[in-house]
Amino acid sequence: MRMTFAVKPLAVAVATLLAGAAAMAEEIPVGHLAAYTGPTSDVGKPYGQGIADALNYINQHGGINGKKIKFETVDYGYNAPQAIATYKKWMSSMKPVAIQGWGTADTEALVQFVTNDKVFFMSASYSGHLTDPAGKSEKTKNPAPFNFFYGPSYSDGCRGVVQWAMEDWKKKGGQGAPKFVHMGDNHPYPNAPKEACAAYAKELGFEVLNPIVYSLKPGDFKAQCLSLKDSGADYAYLANTSGSNISLVQSCKTVGVQTQFLSNVWGWDEYSEAAAQGAGKGIVWVVGAADWNSNAPGMKTVREISKLSDPQGKEARPLHYMRAVCGVFYMRDAMIAADKSGGITGPNIKAAMEKMKDHVPAELEGVCLPSTWTPEDHRGTNQVLVFQSTDDGFKHIYTATLERRPDWLGW
Amino acid sequence: MNYELLVQLLVNGLIVGALYGVVAMCFVLIYKSTQIVNFAQGEFLLIGAWTCWWLMTEFNLPIWLGFPLTFVFMALFGVALQVVVLRPMIGEPIISVIMVTIGLSMFFQSAMAWMFGTFAQPFPQVFESQSVAVLGLQVQSAYIMSLVISILIMIGFYYFFKYSRMGLAMRAAAFDQQAAQSLGVSVKQVFATAWAISAVVSALAGVVVGMVNGVSAALSFFGIKVFPAVILGGLDSIVGAIVGGVIIGVLENLAEFMDSQFLHIGNLYTIAPFYVLIIILMIKPYGLFGTKNIERI
Amino acid sequence: MAGGHSMMRCGEFRTSYRADTTIFPTPMSRNFAIAGVVLLLVLPAFASPYTLNLLIQIGYLGIAALGLNILVGFTGQISLGHAAFFGFGAFASAWMNNNFAIPVWLSIYLAGVLTTAVGMIVGVPAGRIKGLYLAIATLASQFILEDFFARAEWFTGGSSGALAQPFTLFGYTFNTDQSYFYVVLAYTVVMYLCGANLMRSRDGRAFVAVRDHYLSAEIMGINLTKYRILSFGVSSFYAGVGGALYGHYLGFVSAEGFTILLSIQFLAMIIIGGLGSVMGTLLGTTFMVLLPELMEALSQLAGGVLPGLSQGIAYVKQMAIGLAIILFLIFEPDGLVHRWRLIKAYWKLYPFSY
Repeated sequence: MRMTFAVKPLAVAVATLLAGAAAMAEEIPVGHLAAYTGPTSDVGKPYGQGIADALNYINQHGGINGKKIKFETVDYGYNAPQAIATYKKWMSSMKPVAIQGWGTADTEALVQFVTNDKVFFMSASYSGHLTDPAGKSEKTKNPAPFNFFYGPSYSDGCRGVVQWAMEDWKKKGGQGAPKFVHMGDNHPYPNAPKEACAAYAKELGFEVLNPIVYSLKPGDFKAQCLSLKDSGADYAYLANTSGSNISLVQSCKTVGVQTQFLSNVWGWDEYSEAAAQGAGKGIVWVVGAADWNSNAPGMKTVREISKLSDPQGKEARPLHYMRAVCGVFYMRDAMIAADKSGGITGPNIKAAMEKMKDHVPAELEGVCLPSTWTPEDHRGTNQVLVFQSTDDGFKHIYTATLERRPDWLGW
Repeated sequence: MNYELLVQLLVNGLIVGALYGVVAMCFVLIYKSTQIVNFAQGEFLLIGAWTCWWLMTEFNLPIWLGFPLTFVFMALFGVALQVVVLRPMIGEPIISVIMVTIGLSMFFQSAMAWMFGTFAQPFPQVFESQSVAVLGLQVQSAYIMSLVISILIMIGFYYFFKYSRMGLAMRAAAFDQQAAQSLGVSVKQVFATAWAISAVVSALAGVVVGMVNGVSAALSFFGIKVFPAVILGGLDSIVGAIVGGVIIGVLENLAEFMDSQFLHIGNLYTIAPFYVLIIILMIKPYGLFGTKNIERI
Repeated sequence: MAGGHSMMRCGEFRTSYRADTTIFPTPMSRNFAIAGVVLLLVLPAFASPYTLNLLIQIGYLGIAALGLNILVGFTGQISLGHAAFFGFGAFASAWMNNNFAIPVWLSIYLAGVLTTAVGMIVGVPAGRIKGLYLAIATLASQFILEDFFARAEWFTGGSSGALAQPFTLFGYTFNTDQSYFYVVLAYTVVMYLCGANLMRSRDGRAFVAVRDHYLSAEIMGINLTKYRILSFGVSSFYAGVGGALYGHYLGFVSAEGFTILLSIQFLAMIIIGGLGSVMGTLLGTTFMVLLPELMEALSQLAGGVLPGLSQGIAYVKQMAIGLAIILFLIFEPDGLVHRWRLIKAYWKLYPFSY
């Protein structure tokens, strides 16, 4: 009959469609927002590479209980409207259950959206206000229940290095109250830890001086360095990113500033060390995971991961790479747990994440800091690794352990 | 008052301001002779610095070879840009010309980031000692070199425009293109020369800043910093541009002094020049040295 | 509009000045515009949120771009600070809504009014200076306003940014793409009708006179200073409304987003679309919104073939915007709207289009 000719291809089509759907069900859609271009591309590149490599590695090693993570990387150039457009595109096509984001621009722009759509969102924007998912603190204007990050918040990082500074001052036998100054651009990111950190510094007995402003764009900062020298500060916290910090330490070296520089997690790395040509010696800053030369057992896994985009294994990955890898592995562990308790969905991943207590991903022993998330507190870790740039390279000199003080939640 | 700090800041302002002046001068040179406002001036610095950096690190050329090669390249680049992109724009409204140069600036910024990456790269060490003391202030040697070269360039310009044939032709073309053309001046040649000179001198500034801060995309921001200087001095005055540059340099540092000593507002260093710019334009709409246009219907 | 007048359809006769200055040149074009709006009204029923998001972007950016076109294309002024006004509108609307409980639909317009005030202050130098000097003065105001955003904690929330509540009307909350699309569509239609209408009023004609020859305009009794400042005011109103719509769409306004780059993109929109054309503004905005998306799609395609290339394509995306501006200015200085007219003329005269 004629019918069969028509029905047969139709049946085949339906069958393939069903098979396709079945294959689809075995994949976990994840979005990856990266900033390979735009103003933050210098640190956005190694971080984005870390995320992509780690996701590929997980897929090659069993995935999530056998299910593959299907991820799409989009470079949004640190442009908020484009991040939103990408997000909408994903929500109408692959419907990601989780997103690995990048910085302040995309994270802040998407908070509302991911909260409404219940998508698990992990990024490298360490703003303190993201740590208060239930909005318990009065300082939190906009609770972000689906936002997570791995590592200390900007405020906690700054508190950590300030704690080190006090110990350092006592060890050196300093007299009286040491002077502390916050330096950074008048911009959301450098300002994030400004007040919280100054309050803690005052608490520890520092004299807190008027902040000094210097641009996020690299330039000649001799004028600001002269102000710094004149102010007589003993410790200066550099809140900008590495690009402008390089210029600052160089300018200050020329002018002859003796201040001990402290910096945040994006404030210094291997590239800055090389670019500053020795001007950055002695700087002390926050690090969120082990460094490339560390011999922690988990670094073996990280080197395997790195080989995915660098088969010869020649490249030495900067600090940001390891943080990215840690972030992805925490997400993986949460996904595995979610899979066992009702399926991999945004809310389930969030719930699994919030059950973690002093958790370290199995393969990354010694690389990632033990982290704890609860439904009321998204301050993953309360440890701050403090590194110093010395003549023999980077040295881990101090580990600050901060209390989980309720008045610090979301601040 | 802290006089020592004030003096040091002023010296710093004078030295950095001289560099602004040099870039402003390049800008004015193009505007005066071709009536084109070059928003891609900052990218000239960027391209020049990257070229020199590449020659010196990739081929290990010494500075005395890397420098001239960069200049030759930049001269050709300037001419090519003028011929390919800006010649068709002659006679277009000012907004179109501005936008073309803005387009160029976007294009080259990302092209440079693509070719050389996004990290600031240090320049190979050129001088024995990194810094020299001037009136109690430690100043990077590269600045002193640029100061010397800039003064030489300015003297060179003076004689070039006063006595050389090309210089006279350029002045004539700047004054009245049609009249100059009727007297046998090749306006095309004049335009090309202006772009070449401007590109070369900007590249010099770019290399100097690169030696001090490392080469990175931030160099192109110099192009924007120079606008207050240019406007202050008047768009069509080369002397004005240099004076404007020095004024802006000193002003920035004075603002920093007031800020750190008394006001504690923060950020005055970057923003003060723009306030001053608006105030000056309200009082003297054609800058301090610019000529007022008298228009006839 | 000249093309439209010289080449009318058969059966189109204009017997009065009134008929010559209608908003739409022909009944046909009016019907098409109405049909277009009706089509958009039913679109959310079957379009994906992604498509709607792009259309919403075109809407709010298009409103702001129309303001810039009134300033640049119609009045012949220059502004390199449009993004700052756009941002001011976003903050102002959020601020009024959060602090004075003004409903969002009203605060959007009030944000426009506040931005107008700021724009007129910035426009004061425009009474005295023009051309490049004006360009740089507006550039300065861009930086000054950006600094203000980061500093004025009471107004913008300082560095942590401001929250913007979703648009609500009669107890219904417009917080999905489907619903917010209608909000943006309504504002866009109203603002574009007002814009087109402005150009056939006395003030609109005065703007054009100032652009075409300001000395002649002055001799004809047009107060130059008044109209230059007014033009800044109108332009800022549009920027403010556009910005406010953007803010309530995102739900969060951060001082980071309103940089000189966005100002340049606004200028690119009107230049690519066509200076001095209402319709062109919309075309140009569409072009600028779709360009990065198109590049992204291309890079995904190329990335599949050559994995190493996709990172390079990210830069090509940026370069494409610069290149588009340059190429349009050299080869199509009248913008997309000119191309559109040529296509229309071709089909009108088909098959005798030589």
